[in-house]
Amino acid sequence: MKKLVVAALFAAGVAALTTAAFGSSKSPSRAASAASVSSGAVKCGSTRYIGFMAPITGPAASLGQTQVDWAKYYVRLYNKGHKKSKIKLVPEDTELGGPNGTAAAVQGAQALGSNAKVLGVVGPAGSNEVKATTGALKGAGLGFVSGSATNAAIATDGTRTGYFFRTVPTDDDQSKSASAYIVNKLKLKRVYIIDDQEAYSIGLADSVESQLKAKGLTVGRDGVSQQLSDFTSVINKIPQNTQLVYIPWQLPPKGQAFGQQMKGLGRGSVKLMGGDGLFDPAFSGVGSNVYDTFFPVNTKDKRIAGFKKLHKGQTEFFGAPTFEAVHVVSAAIDRACKDGKATRAEVRAQIKKTNIPVKTSLIGLPINFAKTGNLKKHPFGVYHSSKGVFVRVG
Amino acid sequence: MSAPADGSPPDGSPVTGPTEEAAEAPKVGVDEWVARHEERRQAHGGLTGAVIQGWDRVPPAGHLAILFAPFVVFGFVANEGNLYRYGLITLIYALLALGLNVVVGFAGLLDLGYIAFFGVGAYAFGIMASGHSGHHLPAELAVPIAVAFTALVGLLLGLTSWRVSGDYLAIVTLFFLQAFVIFVNNANGGPSDWSYPFVGKVDITGGANGLDQIDPLRFFGYSISTTKGYYFYTLISLAVLMAMLFFVNRSRTGRAWRSLREDPLAAEVMSIPVNRLKLLAFVFGAAIAGYCGTIFGSVQSGAFPGDYDVGLLITIYAIAILGGLGSIGGVVIGALIVNGVPELLRSSENARLLFYGALVVGLFLAMRPWYRPVVVIVGTIAFGFVVHGVAGAVWPRGTAGHIQGGARLAGPLEHWVLLPTHPGRIGGWAYFALIAMALVLTLVRGWWRTLLLIPTLYLAAFVWENELVEQVSGATRLILLGALLVVIMNVRPSGIFGTARVEVV
Amino acid sequence: MNWNLFFGELVSGLTLGSIYALIALGYTMVYGILKLLNFAHGDVYMVGAYVAFFVLQWLGGPLNTDVAGWLAIAIMFLVAMLACGMLGVGIERFAYRRLRNAPRIAPLISALGVSIFLQNSALLLWGPNFRDYGTFDLINVKSYRVGANFLISNIQILTIVTSIVLMIVLTLLVSRTRTGKAMRATSFDREAAEMMGISVDGVVSFTFFVGSALAAAAGVMFVILFGQASPLMGFTAGLKGFTAAVVGGIGSIPGAMLGGYLIGLLEAFATGYLPGGSTYANLYVFALLIAMFLLRPSGLLGSPTIQKV
Repeated sequence: MKKLVVAALFAAGVAALTTAAFGSSKSPSRAASAASVSSGAVKCGSTRYIGFMAPITGPAASLGQTQVDWAKYYVRLYNKGHKKSKIKLVPEDTELGGPNGTAAAVQGAQALGSNAKVLGVVGPAGSNEVKATTGALKGAGLGFVSGSATNAAIATDGTRTGYFFRTVPTDDDQSKSASAYIVNKLKLKRVYIIDDQEAYSIGLADSVESQLKAKGLTVGRDGVSQQLSDFTSVINKIPQNTQLVYIPWQLPPKGQAFGQQMKGLGRGSVKLMGGDGLFDPAFSGVGSNVYDTFFPVNTKDKRIAGFKKLHKGQTEFFGAPTFEAVHVVSAAIDRACKDGKATRAEVRAQIKKTNIPVKTSLIGLPINFAKTGNLKKHPFGVYHSSKGVFVRVG
Repeated sequence: MSAPADGSPPDGSPVTGPTEEAAEAPKVGVDEWVARHEERRQAHGGLTGAVIQGWDRVPPAGHLAILFAPFVVFGFVANEGNLYRYGLITLIYALLALGLNVVVGFAGLLDLGYIAFFGVGAYAFGIMASGHSGHHLPAELAVPIAVAFTALVGLLLGLTSWRVSGDYLAIVTLFFLQAFVIFVNNANGGPSDWSYPFVGKVDITGGANGLDQIDPLRFFGYSISTTKGYYFYTLISLAVLMAMLFFVNRSRTGRAWRSLREDPLAAEVMSIPVNRLKLLAFVFGAAIAGYCGTIFGSVQSGAFPGDYDVGLLITIYAIAILGGLGSIGGVVIGALIVNGVPELLRSSENARLLFYGALVVGLFLAMRPWYRPVVVIVGTIAFGFVVHGVAGAVWPRGTAGHIQGGARLAGPLEHWVLLPTHPGRIGGWAYFALIAMALVLTLVRGWWRTLLLIPTLYLAAFVWENELVEQVSGATRLILLGALLVVIMNVRPSGIFGTARVEVV
Repeated sequence: MNWNLFFGELVSGLTLGSIYALIALGYTMVYGILKLLNFAHGDVYMVGAYVAFFVLQWLGGPLNTDVAGWLAIAIMFLVAMLACGMLGVGIERFAYRRLRNAPRIAPLISALGVSIFLQNSALLLWGPNFRDYGTFDLINVKSYRVGANFLISNIQILTIVTSIVLMIVLTLLVSRTRTGKAMRATSFDREAAEMMGISVDGVVSFTFFVGSALAAAAGVMFVILFGQASPLMGFTAGLKGFTAAVVGGIGSIPGAMLGGYLIGLLEAFATGYLPGGSTYANLYVFALLIAMFLLRPSGLLGSPTIQKV
C-alpha cells in the first residue's frame, strides 16, 4: 500500500514537471526567457559592454591569446580616445579544441545572452563553435562578429544570416589565392598536401586539392593529428620529386617543426606553403623556401607599431581581424546609442551598415558586409619568406 | 579476497549504528567482525550522526525528493545563462556518470571508452533528425532507435570483455574511443574517407565540421526548444533512471553484479553467468550514454568530433569517483562539484570570495580546539600587515601593484598582500614555495603546524592575488580541481558517498 | 621495393620507439610494485622537457651557450632527470602513499588529480605557447647517408643510443644490485618483503625516482628531436607509453622495452605503408593491438597471472 502511494505521488510529480516543461515550449525561438532580454532596450551609459568569446585556455590558447591581445589593444585605444564613453569586454572562454568540445562555447554564449548589458559579441573563433553557438546567440538576439571563423559554409547555409558577420575572408578565397599562385606564378607540377585533421585545415586542403587537380597537377594527400610533433614518418612518405608541400595548419610551431624536420631529413629544398594560421615569424624563420597566404595587412600602420611597443617588440597578425571585429561592434553600438538607448536588434542593424574604408582598417581591406555576413572585398595575399620575414608577392 | 561493508544496501547511505536492519541483512559470506568494524569506524557522533540517522529513516523515495527539490527550484528561479551552465550541463554530466556507475561501480568493469557511446547516441540521433542529413524523424522514433543502436554497439564492445579483463579491458575500451573519434572526424565522404563496398563514399558524420543543424527534440508534436524545457526533461529522465537503477540494484541482477565486482572467480563458482552479466552491464551503460547523447546533440544542435574525447571521459570519471562508485545519489553531488564549482570560479570576484572563504572554513574544519584557527587567522593578518609595512619601506615596487577584479575586498587587500608591479618570476618561485610549504605542513604536527600555517597562508594569498586570479577562468580552476581530487582521495578513498571497503586478508 | 621509404620508416620507428620505451619503463616499474597506473607519469615527462628548456635558457639560450652544444645537452639531461626524479618521489610521498591499501580506484583518481594539477600548473606558470630548444642553432644537425637508401641524423642516433644505454643501466640495476633485488622482491609480494626487513617505502621511492628520471630523459630527447614542448604534451605521450607497457606485459621490464619499440615501429610503418596514412595510423596500431590482446591477454612478455583462490 505504501509503495502504491509513493508511486502515485511520484507519477503526480512527474506529470507536474512535464506540464511545466512543455508548457513553456510553445514559444518559437530557443531561449525564450532571454527574449525579454533581447528585445529590451538598454540605456546607454558611459560604459558599453561587448561580449568577447575566444579560446583563452585549451590547446588553441596561443591563438586565443593573440585575439585577446588585439581586442584589448582596441579597447585601450578607444578608451584613450573617447571621453564620454568607454568599452568593456565581457570575456568568455570557449576552450576551442579542449576536452569538452564546443560545450564551453555554448555555455559562454548562453551566459552572454542572459547578460542584459551585453549588446553585441565578438567571436567565437572556430567555425564549429559558430555553428554550435548560433542557437543561443540568435535566440538572445545578439549579433556576433568573428575575426577568425573562415569556413565558407557557415555564411551561406542561411541559418545565421543577419546575426553572423566576419572581418576575415573565407577559406574559399584563401584556397583560390593559394592554388592560383602555385599554378600561375610558381608553375609547379607536383604538389603534396598535408592537413592537420581540424575542420579548418581539412576544408582548405580539400579545396586546394580539387582546384589543383582540375589544372592537371599531380597531387598527393595526407593528414596528421594536430597534436603530432613527429613528422618524420610522414615526411618519409612524400615522393622524392615533390616540388611543394601545402600545409594549411593552425599552429605555427608545428609548421616550424615540420620545416626543420624536412631540413633534417635532407628535403630542405622542397617549397612549403602554409595557410593564415602559419603566418608567424616561427614559420617564416624556417627558410627562404617558405610561402604563406594571409589577408593583406598594412604592416606600416602606426597602430601596429603601438601594439609592438606594448608587447615588448612581439607582434603577430592573426588577431588583427579581431581588432577590427571589436571596432565594428563598438562603432555599431555607438551609432545605435545616439538616441541614448539601444536594443540588440538596433546594434545588429548598425553592424550591417558598417563601412570602414581601407585607410582606417587594420586588415588592408575595406570593411563592409554582404548580406551573407561576408566581407564584400575579400582577396588573400600570398607572401614569401625573405630573410626570415614574410614579404608580399602576390 | 575483499568484502564489502555489512549487508546494508550500497546505494550510498553510510552505515548506521546497529539497528534492526543489521539483523535482517544477509549474513552469508560476510565476516561478522569485519561488518561490526565498519559500523564502529563509521558511526558518527553529534550533529553529523543525527543528520545521517535522519537520512536513513527517510524512505528511498524521500531521498529522491530531497535530492531533487533544489534542482526543481533552481529550474524555476535561475535565468537562462545560469540555468544552462549550472543546471543543464550538470544534469547531463550526472546522467552520464550514472551510466558509468553501472559499468564501473556496479559491475566493476573498467571501461575507458564510455564517452564513445555518448557520441554514438548523439550522432545516431543527428543522422536521423537533422538539417545536415535531410531526415527529420520525430523524436519518439529517433530517440529509441538511437538508444537501441548505441546499446548494440555496447554489446559488441562488451564481447571483448569476455577475453580480457582488468587493466587490459581498460586499454581495449580506450582504443575504441580513439577509433571512434578518428572515424567520426573523417567520415564525411571527402578525400580522406573510406570508400564503402556498394555505396562508395558517403557522408555519415559530417567529418571534422560536425553534424550540424540537429533538430530539437519533438515528441508527438510538442517541440522542446527552450533551455528550461530541456532542463526539466533531463531532470525527469535523471529521476526516472535513478529510480530504475535503484530497483535494479536491489534485484537479483544487482546482487549478481556486485558479486561479479567483488570477486569474479567466486561468482562464477557460484554459477552466476559472469559473461552475460558483463554484457548486460555494458549494454545498460551504453544505452544510458546513448540516451544522454540524444539530449546533448539536440541541445547543442550539432555533434562535433571534439566533444566526445578523452577530456570529457576524465570529467565523468571524476564525477563518478567523487560521488562514490556504486552510489546512485552520489553522482549528482559529484556533478555539482566537478561542474558547478569550476563554473563558479569563472568570475574572479566569486573566486576570490570562495578562495578566502574556503581557507577559513577549511581551517575551522581541520583544527579541533576552536581557538587554534582563530590564532592562525589573527596571526596571518598581523603577519601580513607587518610584512607589507616592511616591504613598503624597503622595496616600494613590491607593493605598488593593484588587485585585479575584487570590488569589495580590494581596499583592505591592497594593504595586506604584497603586490609587486611586475610579478613575473617571483610569482613562479612563490608558487613552488607554496607547494613545498604545503607539503611540509603535512609532515609536521602540533604547534609547529599552527605556527607554519601563518606564513603559508600569507604566501597562498600572495600567489592567489598575483598568479592564480589572472587565470581563474582557465588554468586555476583546473589546478584547484586536481588538488581537490588528490586531497579527497587521500582523506576519503571511497569517494564522498561511497561505502568504505575493508580488505580481508 | 621502395627501400628509401622502408629505411626511413625504420629509423623513425626506432627513434619514436626509444622514447615510448623509456616512458613505458616508468609505468611498468610502478605497476609491478604498487599495481598502480600512474596517470601523472606523462606529465612528469612534460616537466622534464620544460626543466631542460629553462636550463638551456640559463646557459645562455641556443644561440650563444656558455658551453659547447653537446655539453649543454648533457647538462640538460642530467638536471632534468634529477629534478623529475625528485618530483616523482614527491608525488608518491604525498599523493599515493596513504592509498596503498585503498581500493584500486582511489590511487587512480589521485593520479588523475596530480596529472590535472601538473598540466595546469605548467599552463599557469609557463603559458600555452610551445617552447623550442632551437636544436638547429644549438648543435650542428647532420644527416648521415649509408648506402643509397639509408638516412639517419645525428640526433636520431643520439636518441637511440641514449635509450639503449639507459635501458642497459636499468637492467643491470635491477638484476645485479641489492636495491634491484629488493625491487624485484617487493613486486613479487609486498608484505613478505616487508617482513624480510626490506624497507618498502624506500624501495617505492627509489622506483619512482628511477621511473621519473627515465621519463624526463624521454622528454628531453623528444624536444631535441621534434622541437616542441607544450604543457599538454604529456597526455598523448603518456597514453602511448601506457599502451606500450601493457602490450609488453605490464610489470615486466623487458616487456616495456619491447612494447615501446613495437608501438614506435608499428606507428611508423602504418603511417608509411597503410592507406589513409597518418590519419588512420593510430587506428591501425590500436586494431592490431586489440587483436593481439584477444589472442594473448596478458601482453607479450607478461606472465599469465594465476589467481590463487
